[in-house]
Amino acid sequence: MFGFTSKQLARVGIFLFMIFIGVPLIVGATGRWDFYFTLTSVALLAIASAGVWLTFYIGRINIGQGAFALIGAYVSAILVVKAGWSFWISLPAAGLFAAVVAILIGLPILRLRGVYFAMITLVLTQVVTLTALALPITNGARGISNIPLPSGISVFGIPILPDFAAMENTKLAFYYTACILMIITYAALYRLVNSRLGHLCRSMQQNEELASSIGVNISYIRIVIFAISSFFGGIGGAMFGSIAQSVYPSSFQVADSVNFMLNCFLGGLGYVFGPMLGTLVLYFGWDLLFEFGKYQMLIYSTILIVIIRFLPNGLLSIRFGKGGDK
Amino acid sequence: MEQILANGVYLGSQYAMIALGLTLIFALMNVLNFAHGQMYVIGGFVTYTFYGQWGVPFVLALVMSCVTLAILGALIERYLFAPVIKGPAREESTMLLAAGIAFFLDAVILLVFGEKQSGVPKIVDGVFNYDFRLIMPYDRILICVLAILSIVAFIGLMQYTKTGRALRALAQDRTAAQLMGVNVDRYSMIGFALGAMLAGLVGGLLVTITGVNLGMGGATSIKAFMMVMIGGAGVISGAIWDGIILGFMEAIGLALLYQYGDITYLLIFVSLMIFLAIRPQGLMGKPWG
Amino acid sequence: MQRRSLIQAALTAATLTAFGVTSALAENPALKIGFVGVTSGPAAAWGISNQRSMEARAAWLNETGGYTIGGTTYDIEIVSFDDQKDPKRAIAGMEKMAQEGIHYVVGPNVDDGAAAVRPVAESNGIMYFPYAFPKSLYQAPASNAVLGMVANYQSGPAIYKYLMENKGVKTVAFIAANESDPLSQRDGGVAAAKELGLEVVSDNVTYQVDTTDFTPVLTPVMRSRPDLLVLSGVSPANAPQLIRSARELGFQGIISTETAQDAGVLAEGAGDLAKGFISVGGASTPELASPMMNEFVDRYTEMFGEYNDESNTKVYALEYILETLKAEPSAIDDVEAFKAKMDTFEAPNPYMNGDAKLRYVGMSSFGQKRQVAVPLVVNVYQDGAFETLFVAEVD
Repeated sequence: MFGFTSKQLARVGIFLFMIFIGVPLIVGATGRWDFYFTLTSVALLAIASAGVWLTFYIGRINIGQGAFALIGAYVSAILVVKAGWSFWISLPAAGLFAAVVAILIGLPILRLRGVYFAMITLVLTQVVTLTALALPITNGARGISNIPLPSGISVFGIPILPDFAAMENTKLAFYYTACILMIITYAALYRLVNSRLGHLCRSMQQNEELASSIGVNISYIRIVIFAISSFFGGIGGAMFGSIAQSVYPSSFQVADSVNFMLNCFLGGLGYVFGPMLGTLVLYFGWDLLFEFGKYQMLIYSTILIVIIRFLPNGLLSIRFGKGGDK
Repeated sequence: MEQILANGVYLGSQYAMIALGLTLIFALMNVLNFAHGQMYVIGGFVTYTFYGQWGVPFVLALVMSCVTLAILGALIERYLFAPVIKGPAREESTMLLAAGIAFFLDAVILLVFGEKQSGVPKIVDGVFNYDFRLIMPYDRILICVLAILSIVAFIGLMQYTKTGRALRALAQDRTAAQLMGVNVDRYSMIGFALGAMLAGLVGGLLVTITGVNLGMGGATSIKAFMMVMIGGAGVISGAIWDGIILGFMEAIGLALLYQYGDITYLLIFVSLMIFLAIRPQGLMGKPWG
Repeated sequence: MQRRSLIQAALTAATLTAFGVTSALAENPALKIGFVGVTSGPAAAWGISNQRSMEARAAWLNETGGYTIGGTTYDIEIVSFDDQKDPKRAIAGMEKMAQEGIHYVVGPNVDDGAAAVRPVAESNGIMYFPYAFPKSLYQAPASNAVLGMVANYQSGPAIYKYLMENKGVKTVAFIAANESDPLSQRDGGVAAAKELGLEVVSDNVTYQVDTTDFTPVLTPVMRSRPDLLVLSGVSPANAPQLIRSARELGFQGIISTETAQDAGVLAEGAGDLAKGFISVGGASTPELASPMMNEFVDRYTEMFGEYNDESNTKVYALEYILETLKAEPSAIDDVEAFKAKMDTFEAPNPYMNGDAKLRYVGMSSFGQKRQVAVPLVVNVYQDGAFETLFVAEVD
């Protein structure tokens, strides 16, 4: 089916089973309801990290995903609060808006490479935070709070999506929503990487001049990839705004941008599912070390250093051995 | 106007020193040292402990900052960066390592020195005041002079000593330097230690003026990245220029744009982005670093 | 063989210790009170003074036999969560508190975190005591947040009024960091100053949080020659540098802020230049501090090696929670009972001399009682310590 081996299909099946049935069962059995939010965060951050991974795929270090996540969060919040849109329509709108911004900014800056691109995206995160502080429509420093929960959607009276505000427990609903979004994102990412565009990206990652000389329209591909990447960032950010029911200029900042990038490194740049695993370990790891109190940060960073010291190609390189691809 | 110039020189000299260390490490090993700001903070705290707490003479405290950071830098290079760089990893993986070290140093600083803002007594009292047109406290003038002297000393070291020549060769072309008989491992370590030492030195110098606290680390790193970018990554002379330029940009920007209030910094950052988009290699960097 | 016996010995010892600990703890059931705030990274100072106040007070209570609520004596256990000043983590922290079955949480420390945890707190029945000022957190329909200190829009007018009447202040300038909390506080301060009839000569100069040299930032403000310079929402780290730069630029007027500061930090960072600096403090000036406050300071200092003056304010939240629970024991797992009790609750304030009361206030600012009444102590810095300028009350 779709060119997958049965082994791969089985793995995907196990994965889906785990997140949709396994996790709720485990949470039910252990009573650790707080894990839902942590895992929801992981799923959403993994979506944004997927975007960063995609820019790595064309050989660009992206430390600007926080900017697009913040844009997404604000666009959705403004559409819901000020224009009265349904959250479910504002969600893709937020992603699209982030993508449009990415195209406009990407035109000049995607010519840069290496640390120069990295640094300019870092500045971009600052610029978006400062813009959010300065603009009237974002409410400046006061942020947007009291955002209503996602409302229900029904077509011809048949409810397609339930009304979150009427729910007893929104945790589970948000968890499922985030997981579904994450799966769609990674399915799209996997499809993209294994498409013709993916092959072109790989050729660009290795040598842009060479790729260009054999007729690859590199500037077009760069823009498309950057736009898709930022779309993911916008979606992740918008969803977060809806869970927190508030957006502030500091909701996503430079530290978040850096973390998105670290997620990709930790999982492994050579693996499509690397950012997902990286996000899980980096974000969930912090929560698990909660018991250590004031030594939490020390232990966390030590583990991080040890991992990268002995697994410099990312966590997934354990399973696939050195030099393995995907 | 005089005031803007003076502020620019003062800010520029300290920024240049921060940028120098970062750019040196980048030039030698292609490592973007996320932990640079934390090293700066440690330098500040070491001087604070020796000079502010134990009453050791200021110059000696500065030396202690340099020594501590040089050792720390050498150890980090030897046991963490060098093995990872030699391994089969993609070059960028060192960024994660650098970030991990930054987190680690942050945690250590919090545990050892605490969370509070710390400051030391002024080294010189008094304010130079030229008819209210140029106001500059004496301690700032002193620190500025010391910073410029350190930069000159550093340039001298890079230009006229054997170590300096080896480091420059290494920065230009690692393989070629190795073929010419430069002990790459040894000089990478020396270079990293030197870069870390510069961070410690500027931390020690500035603690007398701004004090030091845990939170300065990350912010300093980011500022240093921007400076490195303006001048061109991995170019020593660029680092000096970009420090001075960012210093002047901030001094002039704040003086001219203050009436725009909240968007002053937005304008500074946006102009930075435009500058980079037009001239991606910075002022004197190699294009496409 | 030898190794095995070693392991056995170790295991026995571990088991014994475990039993020993449990038996010691088992005397009293534990009452868990949460803390969600920032205790690492750049803003660590804010949360750490909170967390330590709570831990010092809890250790003290437990040492003296626990705290009796409704006939049951509890040991107080503080569960703290480091949110790294990230609103996303703050939500996770609040979820963790819900998981631990905690209904009373102190924190978060900043506006965005306090707003982000609101949905979780309301859906899980948690009362939380943020140190953030946005009115929307405390006004209906919000009902689970209780402001843990005096807000700047309450202390600001009191300070300005005092300075107008006693020091002849006529013009005022504001400066704030380019961040949510300080900017909101500045806007509140400007509005209050205008209402009092002060002339605001500069209100739009901001600085980046990472500024290391404030001279260029302050130069245009100084040119407007204000009588009073207000450092809106200034962090303890930046205050001494701002004061120093302003004085070095020849500023002769009064400098004030509405946030709590630390005398030690001011002494180290600005020395004599900080003389006359006005800030809002807790209740530990020598005239006000009760013997109990002095003992708290001693215990805190002994436990953590140094004291933080901010803790004078931050000791109160835990006290309010416990006192209210004592007055209404059913509130221990029912926050609605707590809310109902808040309207009438009153108890003596153990940290202040005289007949000061612990009670909930906030009617005039929020329209409902969603703020703890801590004395509004306005301090002035003199020679390494704070002196009380005046004391006021918030209603």
